[in-house]
Amino acid sequence: MVEGARVSIGSEARVQTIVPPRVRPLGAGSRLEWVLMHIAFVVITVFFLAPFVWLFTAAFDAQAKAYIRFPSQPTLDNFVQIFDKYAFATALGNSVFVAVSTMILTVAVVALAGYSLSRIELRQKAWITYAILLLQTMPLSATMVPIYGLARELGLRNSYLGLILVHSAIELPFLVWLMKGFFDSVPRQLEEAAWLDGRGKLRALFEIVLPVARPGIAVAAGLSFLSAWAEVLMVLILVDQQNMKTIPLAFYETFRTAGGYNEVQYGLIAAMGVLYVLPVMAVFFATRRLMVRGLMNSTRGL
Amino acid sequence: MGKVEYDDVWKQFPTRDAPAVRGLTLDIADGEFLVLLGPSGCGKTTALRMLAGLEQLDKGDIRIDGKSVVALEPKDRDVALVFQSYALYPHMTVRDNIQYPLKVRRQTAAERSSKVERAAKLLRIEHLLPRKPAQLSGGEQQRVALARAIVREPRVFLMDEPLSNLDAKLRTHTRTELKALQQQLGVTTIFVTHDQAEAMTMADRIAVLDAGELQQLGTPDTVYQRPANLFVAQFIGSPPMNILDATRDGDALVTAGGWRIAAPRRLDGGAATLKLGLRPEAIDLALANGGGAQAAEVLVSEPLGSEVIVNVKLGDALLKVRTAPEVRPDPGTRVYLRAAPEGVRVFDAASGAALN
Repeated sequence: MVEGARVSIGSEARVQTIVPPRVRPLGAGSRLEWVLMHIAFVVITVFFLAPFVWLFTAAFDAQAKAYIRFPSQPTLDNFVQIFDKYAFATALGNSVFVAVSTMILTVAVVALAGYSLSRIELRQKAWITYAILLLQTMPLSATMVPIYGLARELGLRNSYLGLILVHSAIELPFLVWLMKGFFDSVPRQLEEAAWLDGRGKLRALFEIVLPVARPGIAVAAGLSFLSAWAEVLMVLILVDQQNMKTIPLAFYETFRTAGGYNEVQYGLIAAMGVLYVLPVMAVFFATRRLMVRGLMNSTRGL
Repeated sequence: MGKVEYDDVWKQFPTRDAPAVRGLTLDIADGEFLVLLGPSGCGKTTALRMLAGLEQLDKGDIRIDGKSVVALEPKDRDVALVFQSYALYPHMTVRDNIQYPLKVRRQTAAERSSKVERAAKLLRIEHLLPRKPAQLSGGEQQRVALARAIVREPRVFLMDEPLSNLDAKLRTHTRTELKALQQQLGVTTIFVTHDQAEAMTMADRIAVLDAGELQQLGTPDTVYQRPANLFVAQFIGSPPMNILDATRDGDALVTAGGWRIAAPRRLDGGAATLKLGLRPEAIDLALANGGGAQAAEVLVSEPLGSEVIVNVKLGDALLKVRTAPEVRPDPGTRVYLRAAPEGVRVFDAASGAALN
């Protein structure tokens, strides 16, 4: 920690000498600059917020359209309908179960794999780590057919286990790399201190290393949950039974059966969209500090 | 109890050409404060980590209280290590850091609490107990690391340059405190440092290492006054020992620059070329020739308050002479040097070994 502080002081000093004195601090510009900057901010904000505004207005609007209009009589009718007529509860349950299970399995695997790659001396370790990353470069659609065949042979179609295994595998190589990076940044001396304090290696990992690498765990958990939550392609090829469908398939199904392409039922779709987005937003808000720290790849100052 | 023995210990890292530790043999008595001293890369930290169980030995044996610990996991060796980086658990409070080893040993909450309080009181960190390590200064972190080490009453304390991250003033202060603490607790301590002043002030005995090999083992006085070889002579002491090329001429040694010094009575071997070593305080500097003294010219005087280091030119060689604070000859002054007979050290120029 002391060293870290020293490093940052050094880099500040360096920055000061490099920055030419002409550069004015932010906000010290002319009035025109100030106005233009704020116009830009507003445009960008509106651009990104508009879909959300549409989603949250259309969901409560019985006559929702493809553009934003504020409902004259807000109603929960859309929500009632998707649960009553379109079995949304099943899809929601499936999605939550599959995404959470995927997250747990992924975190367990990438934590142990990342730790091993970070700490254990292996011959050809560099090649092994590169090979893992290479797996991530393969497009999912390229492996679609063999995955389908394999799942059929193994009886993993229309099964939770099949969905969880496949979803876990999608982000695994990248997350193993990510976790290896986090464990690399946890000083070895922390573990060594725990060993000398009398702890065995496994418990030292759980009591010292994992808590310190918590931001990394949070990122791995968040990303694996999100990828399973949002995944469509694999669900499409692995599931054809109604009771196994996840939210993305329920979207498509509802879109197809309620009005079709000609009379799109925007209100129903938006209601599903709200319920699809809210859990993710809730998870993000609950863990945002850890996630941000994790994405900045810093375990300092915990 | 905590008697430590290194028995012909060897260690080679696969990524390096030369062994990190070569045939280290050391006996450390129970309750002794031993300092492993040497330049960086000399193998002192590796030697310490092998005792802790954090590195494996290639050959040899390490025993604590007569029993080999080589096959034991670090957790079963009952030694405590204070790391250079302190290695405090960042997600735990100071209290939890200190009581972690006690928790591991399944002591009761009451037992833990009283031991933590006692250790905290000893190191005057009671007020820091509820804080997290990130909120502490370097000196405070260092104390917490020490508290974590002493709270469990290990057989041996190991310290890997624990003072090197402190500022100069705090380092000197902590040095004294650490020495007092060790005397109070009476636990065998092995302290690794590259700072010879730390070694001199704290150690019961110093083991000087270079390139993985033990150069000398002795009390601070012995190591300073009677260095076993040229490496030790030049590594220990500030300013270091003056080393001059010399040849033998009957009962006298003649240095480069033509200074004749009476040879010490017991001088081993007939080495062809010699080196003569004189500590800065083993040279007497006079402004008037009292007869038999060697003339030399002052290059510069460096006053240090309690003493002055006078740099004099003798032929091509530069000698550093320690004088009283009032002796401050100007550059170019002619001065007369006399070597204190008991301060004359003679080394074999080829092997570096001391000859007297």
